[in-house]
Amino acid sequence: MDVLVFRLYGPMASWGEIAVGENRHTANYPSKSAIIGLLAAALGIARDDEEKQQHLQQGYALAVEVVAVGNLLRDYHTTQVPDSVGKFTYRTRRDELILGKQRLGTILSSREYRTDALALVAVRTLANAPFALAEIQAALLEPKYHLYLGRKSCPLAAPLQPQLITDQANYFSAFKAYQHKPMLPTSIASDGTLAQRDYDWLGRPNDRHYYWEGLPEDFSDDTLALTRRQTRTRHDQPLSRKRWQFMPRQEHYLFCSGGA
Amino acid sequence: MSRFIQLHLLTAYPPANLNRDDQGSPKTAKMGGYDRLRVSSQCLKRTWRTSDLFQTAMSDHLGTRTKLLGIDIYNQLIAGEIKEKDAKDWTKAMAGVFGALKKAEKDKPLADLEIEQLVHVSPAELQTIKALTEKLIAEQRAPEVDEIKLLRLNEQAVDIALFGRMLASSPSFNIEAACQVAHAISVHPVVIEDDYFTAVDDLNNGLEDAGAAHIGETRFAAGLFYSYICINRELLVKNLDGNEDLANKAIRALTEAAVKVAPEGKQNSFASRAYASYVLAERGNQQPRSLSIAYLKPINHRENEDFIADSINAIIKQKDSFDKVYGACADTRCELNVSKEQGTLAELLDFVGQ
Repeated sequence: MDVLVFRLYGPMASWGEIAVGENRHTANYPSKSAIIGLLAAALGIARDDEEKQQHLQQGYALAVEVVAVGNLLRDYHTTQVPDSVGKFTYRTRRDELILGKQRLGTILSSREYRTDALALVAVRTLANAPFALAEIQAALLEPKYHLYLGRKSCPLAAPLQPQLITDQANYFSAFKAYQHKPMLPTSIASDGTLAQRDYDWLGRPNDRHYYWEGLPEDFSDDTLALTRRQTRTRHDQPLSRKRWQFMPRQEHYLFCSGGA
Repeated sequence: MSRFIQLHLLTAYPPANLNRDDQGSPKTAKMGGYDRLRVSSQCLKRTWRTSDLFQTAMSDHLGTRTKLLGIDIYNQLIAGEIKEKDAKDWTKAMAGVFGALKKAEKDKPLADLEIEQLVHVSPAELQTIKALTEKLIAEQRAPEVDEIKLLRLNEQAVDIALFGRMLASSPSFNIEAACQVAHAISVHPVVIEDDYFTAVDDLNNGLEDAGAAHIGETRFAAGLFYSYICINRELLVKNLDGNEDLANKAIRALTEAAVKVAPEGKQNSFASRAYASYVLAERGNQQPRSLSIAYLKPINHRENEDFIADSINAIIKQKDSFDKVYGACADTRCELNVSKEQGTLAELLDFVGQ
């Protein structure tokens, strides 16, 4: 199979779980909705372009390799908004906070982030995929909209470095074929594995967490003992960006300690 | 035309508590395994968009702070020989856009033309008001609803075009923010310090009770922050209905605010205002990336003689390494380095605002 593999790194990331309101949790690896959203942003497909979004959502299968899970960060978040004053309209945020100062009320919420996390994403086309992998690769190099790690305040802090890896037996071999180019200066680019300096500063990235959808065999031949895998349901297959709806999808998970 | 404009800033704050968590402590985050100081992106955005500088930078500098905007309009209308009653009604409609008006008073006939709070009026807004007033006098008619809305159109448009709007109740009014702001993170590890303080009662003569009248505790830390902003110029122009001139003004205003305006948390205790020491601006269509990774290995002030210079070197080195390994990450760049007296704010603003 042909896959497009790219890297996601930023000092902060937030992979939203289904939650709206006071507590906004993060998963410890990128959700499908976040990755599809990232591709859509790169390609310049607006959130409200329902038809193109649909095609994108149904056209691709994904696998994720979590290199460094990082740490959990809980952010205490407050938002101040004034109530309405008769017919007066607040036209800017400045008006709300300065003219409406006497009437400000505070909304509390708590948001979670992951810090120091690094993951690789592999994208594969399904039937009716609207864009070829090479087109997506080009879009990631020169995106149309902002790309971010789950939340707009979490920018990418390294080039995505998308690589088109062709004729692979499975996702695992594609991940292994990906050339990690160094992120930090003076790192020595080696045999495709993470450069030593990056490795040191991202904290014990020796264990690997793999997530993929589709058949268990899509991931690897049986040398990795696929019987150890977990199969679970996650509600992160976007159904409608406009209505903010997500469908359940099945996903396999395999943990490999010691750098497999 | 470049799609993305990226700004990288290094700003040093003395001991301060700029942005607090639920315990009243400065916010932190782990990076490279070390605790760092943090100022959240929403705190920064709030600071910039509420600053006088942001609003005045939209046109020329120096806005006017006034409650008497209405009186001014009224006097002009009267001077233009508009009937008293009409003048009052028209004035209320116009001044009411800037703030809620005071209630009428018996012995002060013009009290209800005054705005309740001091409002900040930019030179551009004053111009528009003057133009509309003259037009009303010339045409001897009341202002129309659309004309009144236009009085504040630019300020409103820029605010929303840059920072977006999300209204769950009517999604059709949603605007995707053209500006991305990262949480600012200190380039070095930090330990939050506790300040135990007491206050004495000046009228207590100490004969019966020699203790303090108040004891308290406040937490603080000093930090050199890396902040990152990425503006999608193409989206900004689209959000502003194709008005490139206004888009450039907006970018200049945001850049100037980011360089000069500091978060206001606990200013009375710490007076920690600061300007950026170093700014790198980049333009290009390439995939934007922040340079925070330059500080994944923290800058250690014990090893380094010149903390700021070392932090600047680290970011420049990171930028060059990215370029070397991945190809040029931007087409053109502009730097402002205060310690070396290189570059000026004016040049920087011309660079970002084309």
